[in-house]
Amino acid sequence: MTGSVPPFLTIAQAGRLIAAKRLSPVELVKDLLARIETTDPRLNAFLLVTERQALTAARAAERAVMAGRKGPLLGIPLGYKDIYETAGVRTTAHSRILADNVPAKDAETVRRLHAEGAVMMGKLATHEFAIGGPAFDLPWPPAHNPWDVRRFTGGSSSGSGAAVAAGLVLGALGSDTGGSIRLPAAYCGIAGIKPTPGLVSRRGVIPLAPSLDTAGPMAWTAQDCAILLDALAGHDPADPASVAAPQVAYASAIAKPLKGLRIGLLRRFYEHDVPASPEMLHMINRAVGTLKGLGCRVEEATLPPVQDYNAVGRVIISSEAYALHEATLKTRLSDYSRVFRVRVLAGALIRAADYITAQRRRTDLIAATAKAFEKFDVLITAPTAGAAPLLNEQRPDDGFARPLITTVANVAAVPSMVVCGGFTTAGLPLGLEIIGPAWGDATVLRVGHQFEQAAGTRTRRPEL
Amino acid sequence: MPVSPAASVPPLSPGEMQLLLSRAGLALNPGQVADLVLAWRQVAGLIASLPRDRPLADDMAYTFRLMPRTPVPAAITRPKPAGTVTKAKAPAARSRTAVKAKARATATPKRGAAKRAGRKSGKRGR
Repeated sequence: MTGSVPPFLTIAQAGRLIAAKRLSPVELVKDLLARIETTDPRLNAFLLVTERQALTAARAAERAVMAGRKGPLLGIPLGYKDIYETAGVRTTAHSRILADNVPAKDAETVRRLHAEGAVMMGKLATHEFAIGGPAFDLPWPPAHNPWDVRRFTGGSSSGSGAAVAAGLVLGALGSDTGGSIRLPAAYCGIAGIKPTPGLVSRRGVIPLAPSLDTAGPMAWTAQDCAILLDALAGHDPADPASVAAPQVAYASAIAKPLKGLRIGLLRRFYEHDVPASPEMLHMINRAVGTLKGLGCRVEEATLPPVQDYNAVGRVIISSEAYALHEATLKTRLSDYSRVFRVRVLAGALIRAADYITAQRRRTDLIAATAKAFEKFDVLITAPTAGAAPLLNEQRPDDGFARPLITTVANVAAVPSMVVCGGFTTAGLPLGLEIIGPAWGDATVLRVGHQFEQAAGTRTRRPEL
Repeated sequence: MPVSPAASVPPLSPGEMQLLLSRAGLALNPGQVADLVLAWRQVAGLIASLPRDRPLADDMAYTFRLMPRTPVPAAITRPKPAGTVTKAKAPAARSRTAVKAKARATATPKRGAAKRAGRKSGKRGR
């Protein structure tokens, strides 16, 4: 195997080079470790770099390759949001509460990736317990955006977004309860999919709000997300929410052309409910043109207002998160960040009747969303109002005060991904959200992949 | 611009908040209470916006597990094109399973199976 490592490889590219014995997994890992050492102090994407384990796993992958084993994730360096349990490796949820927590077992998702030969580079920053951030009163600082380190990465899979965009890992695991995979994907200019609930096991992932939590992959391209989802998807009898769905080969499914696909444009979401910036509007218009050029039929679609989904999502998240943390909040309140306290303590005051009312309203919103897919194969919209805001502009009560378009897919229990749709004149990425029907994950990835190819948004990387 | 639902919710004073918190068993300092008063105004607005005019018997259970559509569309289960990176798991085993499944699908159903199929399709009792 050769020692030279081309810069900014995707998972697909690295997998092909490793399989052809033209790239050494050990050299790839060493190259990324060096990059982490020089770059991460400006980004804070990593809470822990597992250098020794990474090199050991890379050597094992290299031996496997030389012995003839093949696989798209063999020797591929990944990072895990620090709510994924890792056997023998500290898992903190970016919180003092779990500062010394060393799990005995891997999360099921981590186990699946390692079984495919993936290499863990380390544990990535999050918002405290996937909700309390960005926070500046924790033992570890929040992650910074590689496109402009003064800016927010989005959250809560903040380290995952930053590390992938900066080329410190080739892919990452994130989690998404109201947009936590897709917001960092949008602000960091990468791809990330929140799969259909039940497709990817959540066993061993520290929960935020179990009736909305979803685990999923983040990577530079939709194709890489598909490769990761091929390994991650599958029934896990030990996760009560896991579903024994038919196996789908996602990385193959994305190759099918989009000609004739029916796409619904959720224009009201970003023109009225969460008004978008002129540059975002321009990007969406260009994206519609790109998709029409690929043979898609694009028509306007409507769903209930974003605010309706957010009211349901926020009441459920606050209630469930408070219930999970109640005992610790009573004994170690000051060990949590201020942002976490502001966002979760309100759950102590939500009545059971209000929580159940939110769940009942959710059934309406699931039905209304499902109805839209009678007419359309996928829906597209803007995931955010614009590009990444400044990190110091974030407010503790943002989760309640500003509705999130991304929360629609969590409440509706459907798959949704964000891909890079374009850039502002200042060079900041803008995301495009693609929402599919339940179990339409392959179609969502396919649209994301074909769009990326046609729009040519994957050639530009942040300059660090 | 949409109007924030919080606008229609009366503010909660720090004293009222303290009462609710002590009932919840939480001891917060004045700064933490002040933060929560602001957050609670937002949450109260969200709660107030939830519609409550549903019929009593419209929910059978609070589960949201959506079953996958079957069969899986042919386009996503067809053989992978050459050079496409896909799952590495036992391709030979999968193809053997596929051959068996095809054989089952084309073979004449056994008597018992035909009976079962008839029942499922509503032919029972003819």
